[in-house]
Amino acid sequence: MNVSSAETWLHKINPSLKLFVLIVLCMVALFIKDLNYMINVTMGVLLLFLCFSGHPLNRILLLSIPFCFIFLSTSSAMILFGQGETLWFKWGLISITEESFMRGLLVGFRALLFAVLGLTFSLTTRPVNLFYSLMQQVKLKPKYAYSFMAALRLIPIMLEEFQTIRNAMRVRGVERKKGIRSLYFKMKAYSIPLLSGSIRRAHRIAVAMEAKRFSDTRNRTYYYEFGFSKNDHGFILYFVILLLAGLYLSVQFPYLSI
Amino acid sequence: MRKGLKLTDILVTIVIAVAFGIVYILWGSIYYSVKPLGLHVDQLIYGMWFIAGPVAFLVMRKPGVALLAEIAAASGEFFLGSPWGLTVLLYGVVQGLFAELVFMAFRYKKFNMSVAVLAAIASCVGSVLMDFAYGEIGALSLWNLLLFMIARFIGSIFFAGVFAYYLVKVLEATGVTNLVRPVSSKDYAALDQK
Repeated sequence: MNVSSAETWLHKINPSLKLFVLIVLCMVALFIKDLNYMINVTMGVLLLFLCFSGHPLNRILLLSIPFCFIFLSTSSAMILFGQGETLWFKWGLISITEESFMRGLLVGFRALLFAVLGLTFSLTTRPVNLFYSLMQQVKLKPKYAYSFMAALRLIPIMLEEFQTIRNAMRVRGVERKKGIRSLYFKMKAYSIPLLSGSIRRAHRIAVAMEAKRFSDTRNRTYYYEFGFSKNDHGFILYFVILLLAGLYLSVQFPYLSI
Repeated sequence: MRKGLKLTDILVTIVIAVAFGIVYILWGSIYYSVKPLGLHVDQLIYGMWFIAGPVAFLVMRKPGVALLAEIAAASGEFFLGSPWGLTVLLYGVVQGLFAELVFMAFRYKKFNMSVAVLAAIASCVGSVLMDFAYGEIGALSLWNLLLFMIARFIGSIFFAGVFAYYLVKVLEATGVTNLVRPVSSKDYAALDQK
């Protein structure tokens, strides 16, 4: 799968700072209880995702499909079964009230916001860069950072092994059982060799790293160096303006009166 | 003996966790195929997302491993492009922390099924607390909320407690756990034998 993309200003932001800002924004979003405000903030983040991720538009649209599911699934339970006073519709257990409808939309937009922020981050940040930056700016211990990087490198090998096990079972003519028992059999047949193989491999890697004098001191040299730039200021400014302007607009020009 | 986790412990924990991160991603699609059944049937399989912590702890038997594993699994899921995005990271930290607290309460000395089940329940409590903030579930009708909670608790006890315990039991049979567990007095006794 080709996932290359153009470099935009979002790629040039310091990865630790980017993660930090996004997490703070998520925390803030947990306390936004006003629907209009939430819609404004989500729009601002969607704009970043659609215009500045550097990926071609068709891929962006493809990646947006799950967002619809997330929005619908998160909001539907609240809309259909939430509490409220002003009844709009009632059918058996389902009762839609004005309050539950609005709260459902709020929850849906919040889920959308979290999802878009996460995807924007992972589309514009290489994990290796993030861990190098975390070591340099956040002083994450190298043993954690390098373990993460090694583990991420092992993902393709794990997928390959999964394929190997599947092929091996096919070649040996493993019979297909049906129902719950087949599920149990499959889980066991795949997870045990995959897990034990991974543990053995991880152990070997760690032994090799220590044999080569991997040191956990923080004053080491880095192949990739990260600092801060104008892009970082712009990034922070964008969200400050978004939060303030969003609040102003939601008070002055609300979409829905609540 | 030096305190804290060694490189080997960290690397093995994170690799186990990332493997579960892949499972977490795939579990998302199963979750959505069950979701349309309605009435919170989907919550019955929610417990799978707590499994990394208990499994990693039962394999490694060291302090801090459950928290690290759940965070690593969540970040693995996040990097692979989970549709929930940053949600999984925040939830992961809370779930891992709650599981870790249970193991800590037993001074990291109990490795049986009941402690795994307790850790699963704790993770579940953590996720429900997050849901009160994130999903506003406190505003659901009472019967619906109860259904939601019961389904999620049953699911987590099954997946993150019972299933995790048996998974590690089978892993023990492969002998791989001996690589990473701390040495016990039994091991020293074995050395003294002539």
